[in-house]
Amino acid sequence: MNALAVTAGTIRRIGSHLGGAIGLVIVAVVVLSAVFAPLVATHDPDALDVLNRFTGPTAQHWLGTDHLGRDLYSRLVHGASVAMAVALTAISTALIAGTLLGILAASLPARSERLILILFDVVSSFPSLVLALAAVAVFGPSTLLVVIIVAVTLIPHFGRVARAQVLTVRNAPYIEAERLLGASSWRIVFSHILPNIAGPLVVLASIDIPVVITIEAGLSFIGLGVRPPLASWGTLIYDGYAYLSDSKLPVVIASSALALATLGFTLFGEALRDAVDPRLDGER
Amino acid sequence: MSDTARYLVSRFVTTLLIVLGAMLLLFTLSAIVPGDPATALLGPQATAEYAKRFIAEMGLDQPWYRRLPTFLGHVLTGNLGTDVLSGRPVAGIVGAVLPYTFILTFASIGLAVVIGVPLGCYAATHRGSALDHALAFISVAFIAIPSFVIAIFLLLIFSIWLDWLPVLGAGQPGDWLDQAKRLILPTTALSVGWIGFIARLMRSSMLEVMGENYIRTARAYGLSDRMVTYKYALKNACIPTIAVLGMGIGRLLGGAVLVEIVFARPGLGRLIFDAIATRNFPVLQGAVLVVVLIFVVTNLLVDLSYSAIDPRIRRDGAPQAAGQ
Amino acid sequence: MTDASPLVSIRKLTLDATTERGPAHILRGLDLEIGRGRILGVVGESGSGKSTLASALLRLLPSNVSRLDGEIRFDGTDLLALTDSAMQAWRGVRIAMIFQDPMTALNPLFTVGTHMVDVLRRRFPELSRREALARSEAMLVKVGIADPRLRLKAYPHQLSGGMRQRVMIAMALSVEPDLLLADEPTTALDATVEAQIVALFDRLRQDFSGSIVFISHHLGLVAELCDDLCVMYGGAIVETGPVAEVLRAPRHPYTRALLDCEIEDGDEGRLATIPGEVPNPLSELTQCIFASRCAHTADICLERHPPLAVMGQGRQAACIRSAEVLPSEVLP
Repeated sequence: MNALAVTAGTIRRIGSHLGGAIGLVIVAVVVLSAVFAPLVATHDPDALDVLNRFTGPTAQHWLGTDHLGRDLYSRLVHGASVAMAVALTAISTALIAGTLLGILAASLPARSERLILILFDVVSSFPSLVLALAAVAVFGPSTLLVVIIVAVTLIPHFGRVARAQVLTVRNAPYIEAERLLGASSWRIVFSHILPNIAGPLVVLASIDIPVVITIEAGLSFIGLGVRPPLASWGTLIYDGYAYLSDSKLPVVIASSALALATLGFTLFGEALRDAVDPRLDGER
Repeated sequence: MSDTARYLVSRFVTTLLIVLGAMLLLFTLSAIVPGDPATALLGPQATAEYAKRFIAEMGLDQPWYRRLPTFLGHVLTGNLGTDVLSGRPVAGIVGAVLPYTFILTFASIGLAVVIGVPLGCYAATHRGSALDHALAFISVAFIAIPSFVIAIFLLLIFSIWLDWLPVLGAGQPGDWLDQAKRLILPTTALSVGWIGFIARLMRSSMLEVMGENYIRTARAYGLSDRMVTYKYALKNACIPTIAVLGMGIGRLLGGAVLVEIVFARPGLGRLIFDAIATRNFPVLQGAVLVVVLIFVVTNLLVDLSYSAIDPRIRRDGAPQAAGQ
Repeated sequence: MTDASPLVSIRKLTLDATTERGPAHILRGLDLEIGRGRILGVVGESGSGKSTLASALLRLLPSNVSRLDGEIRFDGTDLLALTDSAMQAWRGVRIAMIFQDPMTALNPLFTVGTHMVDVLRRRFPELSRREALARSEAMLVKVGIADPRLRLKAYPHQLSGGMRQRVMIAMALSVEPDLLLADEPTTALDATVEAQIVALFDRLRQDFSGSIVFISHHLGLVAELCDDLCVMYGGAIVETGPVAEVLRAPRHPYTRALLDCEIEDGDEGRLATIPGEVPNPLSELTQCIFASRCAHTADICLERHPPLAVMGQGRQAACIRSAEVLPSEVLP
């Protein structure tokens, strides 16, 4: 198994559908701008230029400036960094914790397993944004808090899938054989079960990216997420929204950027799911 | 019948557990506030006298194990505390804005169901049609784009650009037409994602149900396509949708907070937002508790309707909805 | 029984389906007649096309069917020439079907009564709901269900498998069809329940004036119940004729082999098998369909698949060497 070849094949399959191709392009643009934000940006995203407020697109400011004369394009690029950083940390935290909990649930006696499952149900169906607001009210807004809140709400996603996968894989003949040969439970988990459930979990992670971007932007939009002056897509939209009477351009640009990004990541995630899970082929 | 009874009891217990959990969580949050609780909760501007009153009011001078039973007891008797700023009871403040959020959320769910279910059915029964393909793409966009972004776009287009609809607030009390007009955009913003989601879910579960043996039986006895689709298949296909609606109420309430803020509508969201801005913790606590209660009660109702539809439901409850 | 013409006469019925590996020949040009008021047993191994034959009679076929040719003349009307909506008028009126798996054939969200009333009122639109319920109740009694009123209010999951199959049978009989298709109606049931259902069919014959096609992989069952026998193999019919005579003196080596399996199975509790594998549905028919497994294969068998040939009164078999290898006077 050549992991690189597999990845290349998967990417080719994603790109072969129109939706997947669009998603792939958007994801590539967002990820590259996020990683190379300082290089890609044309201005310091926080540099004020009060004489040039709401300039509109010019040769100097490609997408114009905001109410403080900050370069909108550079702020968007840095907003991508923030969104990606939050998504990456929150999802990897949830992925690790959820997988461990899921494996744990699958290996516990039925009663304890049920308890974990009920917990998953409760957490994942809770009005988490509202509870997040309560937490923000107490601790004050911070990026770290956003990451924690998002991670906690996503844990059940991964936990349920991990548990279901473990249950399926566990009864496979080769696992039985391994057990008969005296392999320890942990060895089985790490050398057989984890590689087998990795695929579905990665798909799930990619499908969760737009969800995380949305939560982060939503919290930042109402000023309870990423703190100013740090540029987040949510704060950019809020700034634009607050100065709507001066210029409509900043809010239109920032909202469109967020909409495009979430759409792109969703298209990508779904195409990835279809490419990895052939059962869903032809089902859209 | 005893199975159903046991199921109801277990659902009820879970519901109580969730409410209790939420209360404990809120209590813990207020108890573990870093630093001096009065300053943390009231902000540094509060006068010393005011802080003192607040501490006494909240019982913050008591140890936590004393405060917890008092807190729980108060909540159970409907006493959500007193607003430290205005001195009005929190229950009254929350009760005043509750109808707005109620109307917005349920109008959105209603709209999403009324549009999403037929759309999904049509796509499933006309597989490969132009509408089916269009729906495939549009529903992804609908699901992907955050509701507050849609709210902003709607506001820009219909209120500012076209100037068709009034924007901000909920309208004058008593003026039904004005209130209805101001409900259109927020409801649309909130339901768009759900329309896409429900349509897609309905389409896939309808397709799955259409392949079942009992549908073949119905066809083998010459029942009309309409009867097969809308009587025998629709009911089965609705089950996943109902399950998802139950689980989605929480997300919908969260979305309502943002949409209320965009449209400057009064409501729980606005109330919570303002409470955070003014560091009004009792109001925040009360509002959050009420949101949790709404969420739990609707969930229970959804579950009950679910068991009314599906006679097989046992005490283990609803099968997990796929995805989400 | 004054009309001597068969109720259904099938000519050159051919059905192909698209698969991942190319077109599969599921039915290879069947010729068959179903007599009025008679029970026709269709036997064959799984994959012989017997269930597809039933589905084709109802024209209720999966979407991967790529070709459906030939004729199914039902009282003179060619069902295959009808439009979809015209065909719809036949289902549940002149043709009714009982399915193999009673566990999934009824919608779990509707009561037995709802199923039966809907089916009845589609057949007899003049019936009121109340009348339809009364008729369903009587029908349930007929198929041996105690407490019919209670059962009408029951959901499928509250009934046992045997009970559900009785409901299916009651539903099929209630529409008073001319042709009743029973697709392995006992296969999914326990042996004791199977015996009860077979006994039920036997009993119902007296009231039921229509024809029945009873599909089974169990020759003994068919022998017990049916008037005529049709043996299928690899999508082709290899032998037809009155049950008693076919069993007494089979004219096709495959029927002979099937019979030997049953006998050895019954006598010594040891399952006799026919060596070899069923023919690949993807391959064209260039030799006798049974040639690869037949004990009597000769060069002439490899030249082409022989058509059904008349062999005595009302009997047909598709074997060129029949007279040679299965002399008619031989008794088992």
